[in-house]
Amino acid sequence: MAKTLKYIFFIGIGLSMLCGVFFRPEHPHFWWEKIPAFDAIFGFLGCILIVVGSKALGHHWLQKDEDYYSD
Amino acid sequence: MIDTVPPAFIFIAGAVVLPLLRERRLRQVLQLLIPSLAFIDLLYMGQGTYWNYHFLGYELIFGRVDKLSLCFGYVFVIMAFLGMVYALNLREVGQHVAAFLYIGSTLGVTFAGDLFTLFAFWEIMALSSVFLVWYQRDIAALNAGFRYIMVHLFGGCVLLAGIIIHVVNTGSTHFGFIEFGGLASQLILLGFIINAAVPPFHAWLSDAYPEATVTGSVFLTAFTTKSAVYVLLRAFPGVELLIWLGAIMAVYGVVYAVLENDIRRLLAYHIISQVGYMVCGVGLGSEMAINGSTAHAFCHILYKALLFMGAAAVIQVTGKRKLTELQGSNLYKKMPICLSLYMIGAFSISAVPLFNGFVSKTMVVAAAGELHRPIIHLLLHLASIGTFLHTGLKLPYGTWFGRAPEGEHKEEIEATEPPLNMLIAMGMAAFLCILTGCYPQILYRILPYPVHYQPYTSFNVVAMMQLLLLTAAAFWLYIEKLGGEPTISVDTDWFYRKPGLLLLWFCIHPLQNLRFGLQRSLAGMVASATSLSKNPILLPEIAIRFIHLKVINGFYHISGLSEDKLDTLKDLESRITELRKMTYNENIYRRPIGLGILLVIILLFFYGLIYYIRLR
Repeated sequence: MAKTLKYIFFIGIGLSMLCGVFFRPEHPHFWWEKIPAFDAIFGFLGCILIVVGSKALGHHWLQKDEDYYSD
Repeated sequence: MIDTVPPAFIFIAGAVVLPLLRERRLRQVLQLLIPSLAFIDLLYMGQGTYWNYHFLGYELIFGRVDKLSLCFGYVFVIMAFLGMVYALNLREVGQHVAAFLYIGSTLGVTFAGDLFTLFAFWEIMALSSVFLVWYQRDIAALNAGFRYIMVHLFGGCVLLAGIIIHVVNTGSTHFGFIEFGGLASQLILLGFIINAAVPPFHAWLSDAYPEATVTGSVFLTAFTTKSAVYVLLRAFPGVELLIWLGAIMAVYGVVYAVLENDIRRLLAYHIISQVGYMVCGVGLGSEMAINGSTAHAFCHILYKALLFMGAAAVIQVTGKRKLTELQGSNLYKKMPICLSLYMIGAFSISAVPLFNGFVSKTMVVAAAGELHRPIIHLLLHLASIGTFLHTGLKLPYGTWFGRAPEGEHKEEIEATEPPLNMLIAMGMAAFLCILTGCYPQILYRILPYPVHYQPYTSFNVVAMMQLLLLTAAAFWLYIEKLGGEPTISVDTDWFYRKPGLLLLWFCIHPLQNLRFGLQRSLAGMVASATSLSKNPILLPEIAIRFIHLKVINGFYHISGLSEDKLDTLKDLESRITELRKMTYNENIYRRPIGLGILLVIILLFFYGLIYYIRLR
């Protein structure tokens, strides 16, 4: 089950990349919309940025003990 | 033609009648009947302005019906129906009454044509919704509710101040497009964005919604923020400030959602994030952006309700609300239907093609593209990633599949599927999410402007799939890091919670001590006055002896104390004490005239003296 899911997942990624090469926007508004697979790169790096950035913010500043307000 | 009534009044009438019904079945019928009636009412309501009443020289308008208000009206009433189905098994009548008042006042805001009607319903909305938090009946909910209502009352005051200045300046109470510039418009905008939960005025939302009752939180997600989006769309389209606030807001919610452990609070942060798209659309102000914002509000209400229903169902059956508590409970085996329905909501919010988020969110993003706003475009894209990461991956994984940390044994959690009515409500919401996702024309037809946007272009679909699939890939990499942590995150509510605690400390310690001190000294004065008044005739003598004592005491202190001087002082003191103990006895103080007459004469003398001086 888990294995099949994994394969489907990888096939999905490959397929979306392939389609990304063929289907281009008719009127790109920005230069990055002309790059094939830009959204894939943006998704991957953006996700990492969000996780790492937020966790860093949280651990160094925002996260407190659960009884922070109740003392 | 059927005569229609303001839909707000249908719900308010429902709130009045509901507690009068003793039979539970009857109440359940009414709970479903009221939203249905309101929906029929909406269908028959033609566009135009009606229900005008004159009140104190102003015109109150309860029905300004156009495409914008109707679109919001439809989704509010649909949501009312879904929420009521979800809450059908709840026996507490008070909660239903609060919900009806809350929905009614939201519809009042939606169809209000003048600022005073708007304000009145605005306040009822705040007051009725807080009960959905308080009915949770624990101390955390009570406190969060108080913070919630105080923020909203503050927002209401700001709004009222803005309205009054606006009415004085323009002489009109009409609620429509407001030129953003002067103080009046700034205050009104501030009042609106407090309700829209725009940072830094958003903390009430993530603070109070997760503390609300299981069914209450479902209602709360839909109405307050979205009615604020509606009034923003009505009054402030095209305000540059809102573009940036909206885009920042969309990312802000995502950042906090990474850190969150409480499942409903995580979803609450995603309300903030999603409302960010709408606020951004309001700011962009083009026809496409306004359409996008309206459509996104419509879709958001449906899928957010579905997500909250799923999370609340987990809380209802397990009694646990944190990812760290739910780890290792293998809930996916015990509540698969709930999980599947939740995932439909998660796909919708993540804008997976064929789900409704895709047809609305991409419209706002495309509007940003059309207006050549590169940074806004990228920020909104980034927020999309975060949305899928949390509501689509982290939360369901942590809640239903989460594994306990190595070496830590977790006890089994008892769980079953939630009650049938809850599942039916979730099923209906899921159906609507997919329906509007697959046939966006249903939604596009009721939007304020004609829609020229086509969501299902091959590029759009492929780009979205790339974005989501690679987000999932990155999630896979960080799966260990993304588990819940047993912490809370400080947010802008810090600015009133911590000073609030300080204020409390100030009241309990310094202020209380001051009160006790004052009370003690005043009470001492009263006590000595009482004891002295036992024998007023001796007052002069006591006074003289007292002064004598003090003077001698002073001299002795200057010249130095000795044994016999101390004895003298003690002697004098005891004399005064003896005198003070003596009570008035007529036989001791025989005077030619009685004490009473003496006092009267003294009084008369002073009276005469004052009279004489005044006369001169």
